Amino acid sequence: MSWKLFMLLVKASGLTLVISGVSILIGLALGFVICAGLLSGTRGLNRAAELFVSFFRGVPLLVQLLLIYHLMPALGINVSSTTAAIVGLSLCTAAYQAENLRAGFGAVPRGLLEAADMCGFSHFQTFRRIRAPIALRLTLPAIINEAVLLLKASSLVSVVGIVELTRMAQDLASSTYRPIPIFASAGLLYFIICAIVAGIGALYERRQKWARR
Amino acid sequence: MSFDLSIIWQNLPDILAGFWTTCWLWAVSTAGGIVLGFLVAVARRYGGRLIASVLGVYVAIMRGTPFLVQIFLLYYGGPFIGISLTETPTGLIGLVIYGAAYFSEVFRAGFEAVPVGHIEAAECVGLTRWQTVRRILLPEMALLVLPPSVNIAVILIKETAVLSTITVPELTMVTSVIGSQYYAFVEALTLLALFYWFLVEVTGRAGRWAEAKLSRYRFAN
Amino acid sequence: MRSIRILGGMVGAALAMATAFSAHADDVLAKVKAAGVLSVGTETAFAPFDFIDAGEHVGLNVDLFAEIGKELGVKIEWVTLPWDGVLPGLESGKFDMVAGPATITKARMERYRFTSPIAEATVALLARKDAGLTKPEDIAGKAVGSGKATAQLAQLQDYAKTLPTAPTVREYVSFNDGYADMAAGRIVAVANSLPNIAYVASQRSDMFEVIKPPFGKPSYFGFIGRPDADSTSLMDAIDAALLKMKADGRMATLQKKWFGDTFNTPDKVTDPSF
Repeated sequence: MSWKLFMLLVKASGLTLVISGVSILIGLALGFVICAGLLSGTRGLNRAAELFVSFFRGVPLLVQLLLIYHLMPALGINVSSTTAAIVGLSLCTAAYQAENLRAGFGAVPRGLLEAADMCGFSHFQTFRRIRAPIALRLTLPAIINEAVLLLKASSLVSVVGIVELTRMAQDLASSTYRPIPIFASAGLLYFIICAIVAGIGALYERRQKWARR
Repeated sequence: MSFDLSIIWQNLPDILAGFWTTCWLWAVSTAGGIVLGFLVAVARRYGGRLIASVLGVYVAIMRGTPFLVQIFLLYYGGPFIGISLTETPTGLIGLVIYGAAYFSEVFRAGFEAVPVGHIEAAECVGLTRWQTVRRILLPEMALLVLPPSVNIAVILIKETAVLSTITVPELTMVTSVIGSQYYAFVEALTLLALFYWFLVEVTGRAGRWAEAKLSRYRFAN
Repeated sequence: MRSIRILGGMVGAALAMATAFSAHADDVLAKVKAAGVLSVGTETAFAPFDFIDAGEHVGLNVDLFAEIGKELGVKIEWVTLPWDGVLPGLESGKFDMVAGPATITKARMERYRFTSPIAEATVALLARKDAGLTKPEDIAGKAVGSGKATAQLAQLQDYAKTLPTAPTVREYVSFNDGYADMAAGRIVAVANSLPNIAYVASQRSDMFEVIKPPFGKPSYFGFIGRPDADSTSLMDAIDAALLKMKADGRMATLQKKWFGDTFNTPDKVTDPSF
């Protein structure tokens, strides 16, 4: 495999990193909102959040992307390939992140909440100083897991016309008929990108390490 | 374009066969992945430095590369290094070792969330290492481990679709063939959405049910 | 569980709506000329028609559409999707037409409007050199492959029935996976159209060879458009451009460039052999 082909894969992996990086951040922010809905006492909000999670976790990302790409223009909103890809990935990952966060909030020791209550913390103070930080720390590995999963799932955005790393590898394999070295290189590049994302997460995790007793 | 149910009806036996293939591949690989993943997590925690770092590399590679690339290299590249399996065993083995890496990470996080004091206390009262894992670590982390495990089971449902690239006749393969044969793209997509959604929904509900059952183990410290 | 059924219905309705809405567009040729852009959907994993060579999108399609663009006085905008998404994209109006190309078959002619054929599509076998095949019949009793849900696969299946011992026919998501499995040694041959496998054999002459003669019924490749009245003027204009290129020798030159050979193609396929 020539250097030139490898550099084409490197370039395509840049696109993979950008598209999934943006989607990870949007998805995480949206995940918080959905999680708030899941934990909300208001029945309507609760139902809406549950439906969101159910739909975006349940329906294959491939189908979601095709829906966004083919349906939106019919409703008068012209989505570019890039927009369709980012919207599709963000919505899908938000559903998973919301579930992760919900689990974290559920696992916050009750004693701590009772203690905060007794110390006279307001509802908001308890949330900001006790529940949110502890839940985040508890779920950080799962959140990073999901971020890396999204990075890899981003290969599906080729169905809306984006030539990211996997698609580039398929294209190159189909003109050189030497798929094994090309897919092995693509695997290596994915590994590097995932290491970058996981590394950022691990750095944060270390900084936030829960003081364990 | 209309929605033609008769196409689905005509091909129902094939579709159900594909759905069944997806279901059993998923169930077997999830069960295998949980067992192997748990063993990996325990081995990484107690197996000494060498085992921990070897397994760490395995987990990093499985998590850091797409399943599509792994299965492609295993199936199409395997024969060049003497591993020549047919498609279904390749798919099953691939799914198990892929899923196990993710499950092991979930268990690792679970172990870490159990307060050190509880483990020290277990040691003090003379529990063996295995007893500590079984009686302290597992129940205490179960609640924390369950939702991400359900997430991974859900991810594995969808990864089974990748097996179409190595000619396993699972749901995605079957429906997309029908979709292109009859130009029934809408029907095929809807079918895919519904079948996978059904599986995911069942899994999610089972997970929430188990979560409710387990919540009595919630520890206060 | 009821919510599942309702939303499932919505997915179907939404997609059906998408296609219904997009079908009401005005005359496509007028729209293309006004915008100065012809939008063409294709897959870039179909050498030598459409592929990525050293990072550039090249192939017979790219050259032919460059000429078509000149004839029509418009620029060509490529939308590249995996093949599974190309025909649905045409139907939902994501682009004006499809390059591909696709084998002109009876079933497809009922659904799409084909252009004048641009190459022969007759199906032949690409075999491993060490498999010892010398004629198509030699695949009897062996494992062979083709692309899933393709015209080429249908031809292979028909041919397999005529052999004394039926070969095992395997279906791949793409022809390229079939070539990979042949390299891995699980199958001895892949059935695909002559221009495609001739190109593969030229690229991997160490490993693969074309088994002559082709076993399939004579067939042709054409570009694809929507069959509705709005698209008629565009497809007529494309046909006129292609016929002009066939007459003045540009088509033959380009075929020579990409296939190393020229094909005699009829002006129009009215009655495909299958």
